[in-house]
Amino acid sequence: MNFKDLPPIKEQLMKCVRCGKCRSVCPVFAEVKNETAAPRGHVFIVQMLRDDKVEPDHKVYEKLSACLLCENCTVNCPSGIDIHELNAAARAYIYEKNPSLGKELVFDTLWTSPGLLKTSTMLMGGVQKLGLQKLARNIGLTKILPGDLSKAEKMLDSVPSRSARSQLPEVNKAKGEKKYTVGYFLGCGTDLLNPEVALATVNVLTLNGCEVIIPRESKCCGLPHIANGKLETARRLAAHNIKIFNSYEFDYFITDCASCSSALSRKNMEFLFKGLKIEDTAYAFAEKVMDLTVFLVDVLKIEMDGDNLSEKRRVTYHDPCHLANAQGIKSQPRELLQRIPGIELVEMKNANTCCGGSGTYSVTHYDMSMKILDKKMDNAMETGADMIATCCPSCMMQLRYGTQRHKWNCRVIHPVQLINDFYLHKPAKTAGE
Amino acid sequence: MEKAIIGKELVKILGKEKVLVDELDLMYYSYDSSFLTKLEPSNPFAVAMPTSTEEVQQVVRFAWENNINIVPRGAGTGETGGCIAVNGGIVLDLSTWDEIVEIDARNMQVIVRPGVIHANLNDELAKYNLFFPPDPGSSKMCTIGGMVANNASGLRAVKYWATEPYVLGLEVVMPNGDVIITGGMKSRAIKNVSGINLTKFMVGSEGVLGIITRIRLRCFPKPRARGIAMAVFDCLDDAPATVLDVYQAGVLPSGIEILDSSAITAVNEFKPEINLPAAEAILLFEVDGNPPSVDFEGEIIQQIAKKRARSVEWATEEKRMTELWEGRSVTATAAARVRPDGSRIFAGEDISVPLSRVADTLRAIRALGDKYGIKVVNYGHIGDGNVHTAPVINPENPDEVEKVLKMVDEIHLLAIEMGGTTTGEHGVGAVRRPYAEAEHGKAVEYMRKAKEAFDPKGIMNPGKVF
Ligand SMILES: Cc1cc2nc3c(=O)[nH]c(=O)nc-3n(C[C@H](O)[C@H](O)[C@H](O)COP(=O)(O)OP(=O)(O)OC[C@H]3O[C@@H](n4cnc5c(N)ncnc54)[C@H](O)[C@@H]3O)c2cc1C
Ligand code: SF4
Ligand code: SF4
Repeated sequence: MNFKDLPPIKEQLMKCVRCGKCRSVCPVFAEVKNETAAPRGHVFIVQMLRDDKVEPDHKVYEKLSACLLCENCTVNCPSGIDIHELNAAARAYIYEKNPSLGKELVFDTLWTSPGLLKTSTMLMGGVQKLGLQKLARNIGLTKILPGDLSKAEKMLDSVPSRSARSQLPEVNKAKGEKKYTVGYFLGCGTDLLNPEVALATVNVLTLNGCEVIIPRESKCCGLPHIANGKLETARRLAAHNIKIFNSYEFDYFITDCASCSSALSRKNMEFLFKGLKIEDTAYAFAEKVMDLTVFLVDVLKIEMDGDNLSEKRRVTYHDPCHLANAQGIKSQPRELLQRIPGIELVEMKNANTCCGGSGTYSVTHYDMSMKILDKKMDNAMETGADMIATCCPSCMMQLRYGTQRHKWNCRVIHPVQLINDFYLHKPAKTAGE
Repeated sequence: MEKAIIGKELVKILGKEKVLVDELDLMYYSYDSSFLTKLEPSNPFAVAMPTSTEEVQQVVRFAWENNINIVPRGAGTGETGGCIAVNGGIVLDLSTWDEIVEIDARNMQVIVRPGVIHANLNDELAKYNLFFPPDPGSSKMCTIGGMVANNASGLRAVKYWATEPYVLGLEVVMPNGDVIITGGMKSRAIKNVSGINLTKFMVGSEGVLGIITRIRLRCFPKPRARGIAMAVFDCLDDAPATVLDVYQAGVLPSGIEILDSSAITAVNEFKPEINLPAAEAILLFEVDGNPPSVDFEGEIIQQIAKKRARSVEWATEEKRMTELWEGRSVTATAAARVRPDGSRIFAGEDISVPLSRVADTLRAIRALGDKYGIKVVNYGHIGDGNVHTAPVINPENPDEVEKVLKMVDEIHLLAIEMGGTTTGEHGVGAVRRPYAEAEHGKAVEYMRKAKEAFDPKGIMNPGKVF
């Protein structure tokens, strides 16, 4: 669809009253402090793009891509503008006009940096399927400073050697009486960077009466592509995933990754497909998508009764932007943590402020990402927690790096891992018992 | 002087991190919250972001010597184009200079640089049990410098008034580069009548006299308790009548706010959890002080309101109070929610009329809305007669724009007609200049003379105020 015909561009741009409310909630603006980094500034420049008052060139792309797409501005905008969608749409428009934007990066910089390439490609999704050559064409990263790259590479030391997919069968039978058949949308980040989360998810779900199927043909959710100006690719990936998941008889499509569930949500489907033929199918698909924490609390209503341990482990929770801002999911992850015996939840200040990871952002904008991370770590460390829990592989990677950076001995985990730990020590009552 | 040379000179003074000269960067400084700049954004020649008095002084000297306009800017949340270089020039973005220099709790005052954000200042002051009372709806984004320059006020002006009474002294860089300190060079006094009061003169001068670089503010002890009464009315006239009765009963609430039926819809659309009842008008009374006095005054307000109101709610629980108060403060932008394809605009948004004329004014504004076929959301600080009008239009439809500009003109004239003013708190800037003569007559001549005495070359924020 033409940039100027996209619903947010057509309907929302004119709604901005430039009140500046969004200035007060943007983590990037808080660092840069001038209007060129303000969400309001992004909205303005997108309008200028629409009106052909600025060239869709790399300079504008650079400004727009300084944004994390954390959606904090969007949820706080009194005029109801999806500021991040305007931004993403504009990136795609500029990219479309300047196909060379991304290649430059891939061929000149990424190729010379094997560790980085590995992780970047992993994050870009589905390297195994696409192959590097094709993938390179698909990546539309902004121009990266080589300085950033060498620093960013440190983040990638601990990429696990075995993916989750290689460890999990396609069909995982329910233990005990079967209640639901769920399609597990195993995202690239969980699969490649946090396979232990996937193992825990499958174990916890099967123990609670779910047959868990991991469709082999599913692909990346497309979120990294949206962030990097590849809207068309994101549409293709979403359409593919819809087709694959719809070909099974699933009660729910579950994912443990905040980014994936937001990419598959109704809101994002509207962004990708509103006005297109596939629209209704996409919305029907999105109806069945559910974040793991919501599924465990609201549908499975899991309870874990255990001994009231006197010595509790302190856990602080970091809200992934794609859960808290994009989907308004804040209570269920906390509720889950509080239900685990022996866990004490301690809130950190600004728990729902971005950690600066934001998918590929920590690689493309290393210095800014670190400034934002350092603030997050200060707040997390202040709680004196033993663990940071969060529901997004990108946040987990970033926070883990944060703990190393601050020499803080603290585990970074997904809540489902703690539930799994609990079951390992005290087998769950399987359904029907 | 050519733009490129201006840029180079500024970089020499400030270094390149503190200067923007790229055309793309300059575009981000072409607007503030005004409808004017939404229609006609206007780029400066350059943006400078000084963070010391010396840096400001050097930039100003350079501008003075080369006859280049200087336009101070805070957060750009003004609604009048005040911080926009409408005639070209260098924009001084002072928002990055956000240092709280000293909280002098023993002397009940605080010293700040101009870029400190209002809400951040109060967060810091709270640690000392102090607060700076004026509270604009833009508290989380506007700067103290901008508040002083606009003499901003807000929801609590009924009891605490505007910024002006709190400003004890200023450091100002004059258009020729001189630096003056008003309110006494070394003074930490709270009371001070020595000399012609240049502090008061600078407050509300909208950047046309000099650049405010340091602000000494009086603080108040933070009240220990707070309560909010919400009264719901089926008849518009009952609202102002209730306000007058409350005053008559000897109660001075900290704020009294009104929302009309369309504003109620807008708030509910934006934050359904606030769940305001549908009505012709809602009044929110905030009282603060010590717990017994808050209860006592709350009781009186409830009794008086019940005489006319359909229902009255009294809230002292923090969550509900925040909801109600925030509900009111977000109305400014949430107004747009009353029309799916519309946007509110900031134009004709800030008239202030005598208390006795508030109901007539609201009715007249509704009639104007009907006349032009424009949806208008009304809300505001009824306690001091300050009515905020939010026309909701499609700003990209030229017909609607033409109509709304005519309507706004009529609203401004209506305010003067009612014995009020075209602006109660947001200022004149570029948008309300045309009404200066009608409002002030010969006094405008003396305003001009005063400006000439401070700024003989006319480089300070030209095209504003008169
Ligand atoms: C949603 C919303 C709600 C608002 N609610 C209120 C309200 O309740 N009450 C109210 O009074 N206003 C309100 N305003 C208007 C505005 O926020 C205030 O006038 C505020 O004080 C402007 O501050 P700023 O930092 O954004 O200044 P800017 O808009 O950047 O500048 C305002 C004026 O001050 C001058 N200026 C700025 N800094 C300096 C300086 N250091 N030295 C000299 N001149 C300077 C500029 O040249 C300009 O003329 C609201 C605005 C919005 C968008
Ligand atoms: S908060 Fe919304 S309306 Fe206000 S400036 Fe930002 S984008 Fe525009
Ligand atoms: S999405 Fe996040 S980083 Fe981007 S402009 Fe909005 S608040 Fe800032």
